Amino acid sequence: MAAAALCWALRAARQVLPSPCPRQVRSYYVDWRMLRDVKRRKTAYEYADERLRINAIRKNSILPKELQEVADKEIAALPRDSCPVRIRNRCVLSSRPRGVKRRWRLSRIVFRHFADHAQMSGVQRAMW
Amino acid sequence: KDKSAASKDSTPEGAAKRQEHGAETPKQQLLDIIGSMKVEVSYKKKLQQLKASEKKKQAMNKLEGLDSEGSVTQGIPEDTQGVKPLNPELVKAASAVASSLPHNKKQTESELLAQLRRHEETTDKQKKGGTIDLRNVISEMTIKRQSPAQRSARISGRISLQLDEDGQRIRPERSSAQSMDSRRSLKVGKRLNIFTKASTEPEHALKTVSSPTIWDLEFAKEVAAVTAQPPRNGFEEMIQWTKEGILWEFPIDNEVGMEDDAEFHEHIFLDKHLEGFPKTGPIRHFMELVICGLSKNPYLSVKQKVEHIEWFQKYFEEKKELLQEI
Repeated sequence: MAAAALCWALRAARQVLPSPCPRQVRSYYVDWRMLRDVKRRKTAYEYADERLRINAIRKNSILPKELQEVADKEIAALPRDSCPVRIRNRCVLSSRPRGVKRRWRLSRIVFRHFADHAQMSGVQRAMW
Repeated sequence: KDKSAASKDSTPEGAAKRQEHGAETPKQQLLDIIGSMKVEVSYKKKLQQLKASEKKKQAMNKLEGLDSEGSVTQGIPEDTQGVKPLNPELVKAASAVASSLPHNKKQTESELLAQLRRHEETTDKQKKGGTIDLRNVISEMTIKRQSPAQRSARISGRISLQLDEDGQRIRPERSSAQSMDSRRSLKVGKRLNIFTKASTEPEHALKTVSSPTIWDLEFAKEVAAVTAQPPRNGFEEMIQWTKEGILWEFPIDNEVGMEDDAEFHEHIFLDKHLEGFPKTGPIRHFMELVICGLSKNPYLSVKQKVEHIEWFQKYFEEKKELLQEI
């Protein structure tokens, strides 16, 4: 049991593969929720083609309905994390689920922090 | 100030003695002027004079028998042994200058006369052997002149050659003539492949070992890590980033990483892949729609499209029993 708990703790600290780049590399995700989001993205990527094809059969007026029902069952049988709807665009640095700007993938607080320190290229305080 | 006073004292004496000698020719007037000129002694000049005095001592040791003792006044001094007689006017001028200077007049006079003699010797040498030296110099100059002219020709030739190759070969004859003229450098050497894509040339070096061992790879990695200096400037940083893949390569190639060798007809005309399907019925209808959609898709490669169709084939074959019930 203790070993299993340790394993889980290690998995939370996802190690990045050893790469030759000499800069600092983040080797932990911010929190577990971010980790789960990452897992969902990976499985969604893997099953994307299959889901697309099965959905093409389902959303169809030409094929017989029986076939479409079978396709419904098949798509429901796929792992739950494989659907793209479950992905949440969290902030990359703070894992905040809300207030995230898509262009920068940052939450509003982090974005403001960096913009005020002049670390966002091309971002200026609005004044008109 | 004391030295200037001393010079003033000496100059009227000299002037008086000159006037005693006799008729005042214009030359003597010049000499009087030189003699009456004041000498402003500054610290730098003192140093120079000290150095000059040392040199004069050396000159005195070198030269032989300059009888200038007791001849503060004018008078043609006696010639040294085996030396050409100097111009008497120059000698007079030298003696006047020496008298005007505050230091030891005998030494200054002897030094000036020695310098005059050296000048005479150099002029004589130039007169005798001048033409030969000039010829040598001119010939040398011609040889040297070719290289800068050649360099400019080479640069212009390179530019013109590249233009010709990139555009159209307008005058290949002239370019070949230029390359022949400038002997070496136009068509020799590796191409840099800056503006044209590098054609993958077959490697000339034959590798005896087929694949490098793990130890070789590790050693190579170690060497690279040790020799990798931190970038000294922004350019080196950008080079490093380009190698790592962070920065794109310029000029930007829109088709980096996308090597689709297929022609357009392979993308559009996908009917041949539909041979496994029944020719009539809803499935055929469905697949034709699928193919219509794929032919309009520019983002998938031909392989991916073929895989797409094959998946559908597999799927419908698995569902054959179901379909036959319907």
